Amino acid sequence: MKENYDFKIDKIKDLSQEEINLRKKNLELFYQAGFPNKKDEDWKFSDLNSIISNNFNKIVNDDFLPTKTEFKNIEEFEHNYISLLNGKLISKDFSYEEKNKILIDNYNHKNELSLDSKNPLYFLNNALATGGYSLEILKNYKLKKPLVIYNNFSNSLKEKIVNYKNSIILNENSELNLINYINNSSKENFMVNTIEKIKIKKDSSLKNILVNNSKCNCYFYKYLNSDLEKNSTFENYLLPSGFKFNKLDIEINLNEENSNSSIFSALNLSNNEHQEIKTRINHNTPNCNSYQKVKNVLNDQSKGVYQGKIFVKNIAQKTDAYQLSKAIILNDAAEFDAKPELEIYADDVKCSHGSTSGSIDLDSIHYLKSRGISEKEAFQMLINGFLSETLEKLSEGKLKNFLIEKLKRQINGY
Amino acid sequence: MLNIKNLQATIDNKHILKGLNLNIKPGEVHAIMGPNGSGKSTLANVLSGKNGYEIKGDIKYNGESLSELSTEERAQKGIFLAFQYPLEIPGVNTNNFLRTSLNSVRKAQGEKELDALTFLKLIKEKASELGIDEKFLSRQLNVGFSGGEKKKNEILQMKLLQPKLSILDETDSGLDIDALRIVADGVNSYKSKKNAFLIITHYQRLLDYIKPDYVHVLSDGKIIKTGNADLGIQLEKTGYSKIV
Repeated sequence: MKENYDFKIDKIKDLSQEEINLRKKNLELFYQAGFPNKKDEDWKFSDLNSIISNNFNKIVNDDFLPTKTEFKNIEEFEHNYISLLNGKLISKDFSYEEKNKILIDNYNHKNELSLDSKNPLYFLNNALATGGYSLEILKNYKLKKPLVIYNNFSNSLKEKIVNYKNSIILNENSELNLINYINNSSKENFMVNTIEKIKIKKDSSLKNILVNNSKCNCYFYKYLNSDLEKNSTFENYLLPSGFKFNKLDIEINLNEENSNSSIFSALNLSNNEHQEIKTRINHNTPNCNSYQKVKNVLNDQSKGVYQGKIFVKNIAQKTDAYQLSKAIILNDAAEFDAKPELEIYADDVKCSHGSTSGSIDLDSIHYLKSRGISEKEAFQMLINGFLSETLEKLSEGKLKNFLIEKLKRQINGY
Repeated sequence: MLNIKNLQATIDNKHILKGLNLNIKPGEVHAIMGPNGSGKSTLANVLSGKNGYEIKGDIKYNGESLSELSTEERAQKGIFLAFQYPLEIPGVNTNNFLRTSLNSVRKAQGEKELDALTFLKLIKEKASELGIDEKFLSRQLNVGFSGGEKKKNEILQMKLLQPKLSILDETDSGLDIDALRIVADGVNSYKSKKNAFLIITHYQRLLDYIKPDYVHVLSDGKIIKTGNADLGIQLEKTGYSKIV
């Protein structure tokens, strides 16, 4: 059988024999499973195997040496930054901060083998990952300005896969606003497979924002695993529109009391784009809150998926968990699948979920048109209103305005 | 300005307007009164170009056939409908909506679009004339507004867009007496020789504040009686049943 992929460990430079062996073991596990397909419950609405075989001739790995490519940095608000090119850390700037409070380095890939995982993409990442960063904020330090992670992808990635890992640790009583900014100059098809681990320690707070800056022929997958300690807060704002394929696989572990998490996602899908938001919120302890609001607008033949699971352990009394998914479907050929799941083993909890999908409200369109606004603009205004509601909780300021403008661009075209 | 001849309108196989005739000249104020279900709101919807109606007959607006114009083109050419039930539109900021609306109309009329600052000055001025608190402008369009606030917002839009023909669909419903006076003052201050009004109402009370030149009684999809302002007062006393 012809495979649509050909991955080789020996393309990766400077590995010890031990590392080579471990990576080979991971690669073997990937080859046994292949790319996940719809028979796997976690992938039943996003058959990655057939998506890859329909869109790639042969996907290969490479040890990407950073080549000079110019990307424009954000000018709308003052920020620190870390620049990654094809996953590799190439520059950093923390000029607004006390430098000894922040530790930043290349991700150390030694000793990665997670045999307990069932996820083939995890094995693939363990086998092939070459880039990424480790970031640690020291105790009692609150960053004065947001930190932008520029995830830049060059135009040399045709039929290639980029794998990298990131690690973020917020030590006690620290605070960080993080913006994952995805930029790419390639029109060609390529794949990105990222694993990110986040630890938010006692009394700390992390805002995690993801913005895709351009339409791209990119097949993106990110697995994010986070652990929250006592009194910590983890807020996620996701604006990933523009990818050809994207799956954000988010796991949040509320491990100690009074920790809070939220996920807000706004997606405008067109053509045959396909995106999935998959979440698993584990309430492992009493008195924690989680909140999810996922909004999709589907044009053309696009497909949107939301699989959201809330798990409440038997000891996790006084849990307050909420999830809502809303979709507007603008074309009969578009599809939206929602699978909300509650698995609750405690009896004194407040858990609710809701899912709606429907067409746009034509009376509202008529109202806007009766004020001289064109039909196209009326649709854009309503869609923008529908999606931008996910940003409401952010405090007013330059960062929020920046995100509102990016979202508008994702809706009205680049 | 507006010439309606033998207008018939059907929706979902229901025949609602059954041969309506109406002529409105610049400077005139016409009131259409009628019992529930007589077709008053259908007339407003048809004039605004709402989809879903099957229409026969002829509507000319300044010599142009209305059926060939889209809803937004009608608005751009100076037809304004104050809605009976203004829509609540979450996520759309009132101020941005008003500016987009005004600039769409100005652009279509070949005028320069207003920048944010110039617009803000203008809208604040217009809002204060109607006793609308500035903070409403930064809220989501009509979301959580009271009935009176929504109606005032409609009149604000009218005064902003400066239409030639203003159609007020049951603008008095849901208004307390103070709001009614403010709305009526708003209309009266906008009246001129160049523009006309079509006031659709169930009750006489709005006409105590805005004096019509003509009152028409609509019943079962047709105008069955036309008179001057006294007709409205008479209707208030006798009720519709004596006439229809």
